[in-house]
Amino acid sequence: MKTSPFSFITTSKFRRREALIGLAFLSPWLLGFILLKCIPILLSFIYSLTDFHMLEPNNIKFIGLANYATVFSDSEAIINLGGSLGYYVFAVPVQMILALFLALVFTSWRLKAKRLLIPLFFMPSIIPAAAILSVWMGMVDLKTGWFNLLLLQFFGLPPSYGIGALFSLAFLLSIWSIGPGFLIMLGAIEAIHSDINDAARIDGAGSIARLFFITLPLISPAIFFTLVINLTSAFGGTILLDRGFVFHQSLSPMENYITRQMFTNSDLGYACALAWVMFSITISITIWLFRSARSWVYFPE
Amino acid sequence: MKLSTFLKRLTERSHSSLTYHVWDFTATAIVNFFVFSLLFLYLGPMLYLPVTALKLPTQMADPNAPLYPADAVIYEYQNRPLNVYIVPTTNGERHLALVKTRRTSADFIDPENPQAGIIHWDGNWRALNKVYVPNMHTENFTKFFGEFSNLYFPLVLHTLIITFFGLVGVIPTSIAVAYGFSRFRIPGIEWLFILLIATILIPETVTLVPTYRANISLVNWVTTTFPLESVTWLKDLDLANSGLYRVLPVLVQHYFGNAIFIFLLRQKFKSIPRDLDEAAMIDGAGPLRILVSIVLPQSIPVVSTIVIIHFFYSWNEIRQASLYLAQGRLWMPASFLNSGEVPILLTMIIPVMVLFLVQPFFMKHVPVIGNEK
Repeated sequence: MKTSPFSFITTSKFRRREALIGLAFLSPWLLGFILLKCIPILLSFIYSLTDFHMLEPNNIKFIGLANYATVFSDSEAIINLGGSLGYYVFAVPVQMILALFLALVFTSWRLKAKRLLIPLFFMPSIIPAAAILSVWMGMVDLKTGWFNLLLLQFFGLPPSYGIGALFSLAFLLSIWSIGPGFLIMLGAIEAIHSDINDAARIDGAGSIARLFFITLPLISPAIFFTLVINLTSAFGGTILLDRGFVFHQSLSPMENYITRQMFTNSDLGYACALAWVMFSITISITIWLFRSARSWVYFPE
Repeated sequence: MKLSTFLKRLTERSHSSLTYHVWDFTATAIVNFFVFSLLFLYLGPMLYLPVTALKLPTQMADPNAPLYPADAVIYEYQNRPLNVYIVPTTNGERHLALVKTRRTSADFIDPENPQAGIIHWDGNWRALNKVYVPNMHTENFTKFFGEFSNLYFPLVLHTLIITFFGLVGVIPTSIAVAYGFSRFRIPGIEWLFILLIATILIPETVTLVPTYRANISLVNWVTTTFPLESVTWLKDLDLANSGLYRVLPVLVQHYFGNAIFIFLLRQKFKSIPRDLDEAAMIDGAGPLRILVSIVLPQSIPVVSTIVIIHFFYSWNEIRQASLYLAQGRLWMPASFLNSGEVPILLTMIIPVMVLFLVQPFFMKHVPVIGNEK
């Protein structure tokens, strides 16, 4: 009775009918999943085993795992891969912690003008990447960059691309995209029933105990969803700053390297092999994440 | 008196006492000051755009110029415009106009006292800083609207059209799929749902090569099968000419639903009690009827939130825009990459305006938000 509007019908014939209607509703996504995800991923794997060249589409040879062997001897590919992984490791935790911290601060009843502050903190998440790119260049420029003029000169340091670029990478890429996560977690914290907190307070729980034993466990689904969203943008390579100049053309190194193999060198087979290396890494992170979610995410259902 | 009763009395009294009010005020001040200074640090770099848009290129070229929009002071001497510099002299720093330069010395004149004649100064004049007075210039804006006046508004229109056709695809399909996930008993549905969430995390790069090839052949096929260029009224709209077909690869994917939207809608649909569905069932409503008349009316906030998110996403989309729409100015932000602060300000002003317009609504339905940046 409780799982479906059709559940009072128990015969298998009607069960099958229900499943078929459900599948009909799912069909747009299923079709898209097969056409836009499964087939391209498999095709990409098949291409990666060949010497597919964009300019000679009729002359494709099967070359086995040669492309993968090239990936691991191509120092530039390894550097780019390391850059990508470094970005996941750096940006995602920073985003998560900051968004959670901000959400916790915003639950304080002492804070005024929340209705103005929330959209202001959210704003950088919805401005075009082109604007962020422009701001970033204005920050790190050696001669007129604000970062050099305001911070480094203040501390008496010489102008430097390295520190400036690292700073703005941290600032613009991770901090300026905390908006969605911040809103999701703030919503989740505000949805917590005050009864639970009051009960804990009567039992003598201080604010830190309440944070770790009530708030965090109860908002763990929101934390998990935020993590998924942040990882999406990290894996997607940052759409942001695709044409940066400090980190060799890009701040999303692997993606940029693949695009370059594809369009500049026209070497589609190798590009696919690179993409598959990347795919196997991200999919292992995803699987690990979903497995671990069972032990730390609280699902009320 | 017992210690506990003493403490209790103390705290009771302190709620009305002066110390309590002082503490209350200080705590509020600290929290607010902290958050507002955080906001200033957070949005500070954003000031770069409006500030730079109000500067002249001559100021941008001078590394020693101040950060705020300003003009170098010019002194007219014997019908020659002279730059005024900050010159360290024996009697302190003076603002002097540079008349003549040599390698290790220079001749200056005092703009306040030109009768005193030429002042000789020893030192490297290139190391001196110019005198600036704050002044805002709107030349960049007038120049932009002079150059792009017949381009900016069509571009906004094109972007809105693309967004609209994306919405027409993504909203109904996402709703249907979310309904399928939330209301029907299908064997293995839990696994399908995990698969749905996992697809959110598949990087676009992996599918890039086959998808790019397929999309190019799709565009070629559509172009040869439906030669829209021959339709007169479309020609008049100048859409075909500006690359109507090239939008297809960007739009097609939206017609298969969006995994994040499906996830958000499913959460909402699951929270709607089934009793209503069952009552409608008994009255003879089919699954589609239940969706349209029972489930959707209760999910309007989520659906509208998704519409807003899709607008932001579509407006800011840059990767596919630069992949498929490289030639021709068709998509807002992608068209103005690396083209100065003014066009960038003008592209970001629209999503920011929309955010503040929908803000009361948007923030109320906070928990359903997921941005796809």
